[in-house]
Amino acid sequence: MEVFTDFQCPACKVLYLTTLQRVLDNYVNSGKIYMVHRDFPLPMHAYSMVAALYSRAAAHIGRCEVVEQALFENQEKWEMNGDVKGTVAAVLTPAEMKKVEALVESGAVQPFIDRDKQIGQAVPVTQTPTSVLHTRNGQTYPVVGQVSYDVLKTLLDQLVK
Amino acid sequence: MLQSAPFTFRRLIIWLGRIVIAAIFIYAGLAKLIRWDMHPHPPIGIATSLFALQIDSYQMLPPWAVLQMARWLPWIEIAVGLLLLIGWRLRIWSTIVTIVIGGFFVAVLRAYFLHLDINCGCFAKPEPLTGLTVVRDGSLFLLAVLMTIFAFMESRNPHPWSVSDSPAAQTHS
Repeated sequence: MEVFTDFQCPACKVLYLTTLQRVLDNYVNSGKIYMVHRDFPLPMHAYSMVAALYSRAAAHIGRCEVVEQALFENQEKWEMNGDVKGTVAAVLTPAEMKKVEALVESGAVQPFIDRDKQIGQAVPVTQTPTSVLHTRNGQTYPVVGQVSYDVLKTLLDQLVK
Repeated sequence: MLQSAPFTFRRLIIWLGRIVIAAIFIYAGLAKLIRWDMHPHPPIGIATSLFALQIDSYQMLPPWAVLQMARWLPWIEIAVGLLLLIGWRLRIWSTIVTIVIGGFFVAVLRAYFLHLDINCGCFAKPEPLTGLTVVRDGSLFLLAVLMTIFAFMESRNPHPWSVSDSPAAQTHS
């Protein structure tokens, strides 16, 4: 399951905090589904690229989930003042934050986000969130927008059979 | 001797409504079940789940209602479309169709004004919900309303030429 999101997208926030958490608990952790998060910052969101950079840098030091959670939970705050860095710093240790900042400033993580965007454009992803379900037999099913877990579950249960 | 009633504006709208709306409903129902836009076509169960996700993106109904609607709506669309086409009990089915299309129109209008970035889901395939969708659904709703009103008018006040040559009818006219 590839999930294309934009950290500044309200629907992505709801999807992440409600539906995806349960998918992680009930399908990913039990090995039924392999989930890949892809960053797809939209041009109309001023700080989503910055948020994606910090999230991807955090992933490089194994702190992706904590930072993603913090970014989505505090979305309304940092999208007003652009303080992505402060939001991320609040959930990392000073040493971790230093590594993350270094990765962001060096530009080392930008190519990963660019690649995610290219993958998204090939789908094509026209809005966020967009989830693409890939089955073992090569079939793909796009799921666009914010969806509730109970509805998504009916599809997932059929696909993992 | 009975004569065929002329093709009035009222009858034209009824015929147009029956054919256009029936065709759209039957096509929409089949499209949701068969998913012509996907290759290979998914099983009906998966197609129904995908349709459920489209309904869910409107954020109007609780999950249980979304699932029921996804399960039954395509079949209802096909059945009602066929009934409309054959013209049996036209007033009943045209009323039901109008209510259904009215429901769709309200949902689309709401999604449009809430700036929900979603797919229409009208014909299953990905189709962004835009102002054009609102205009299209609004036009269809208008056609359905006119068709229904004229169907009732036609039944209560048929054209004089379609009335038989009975003494009662002659006295009445």
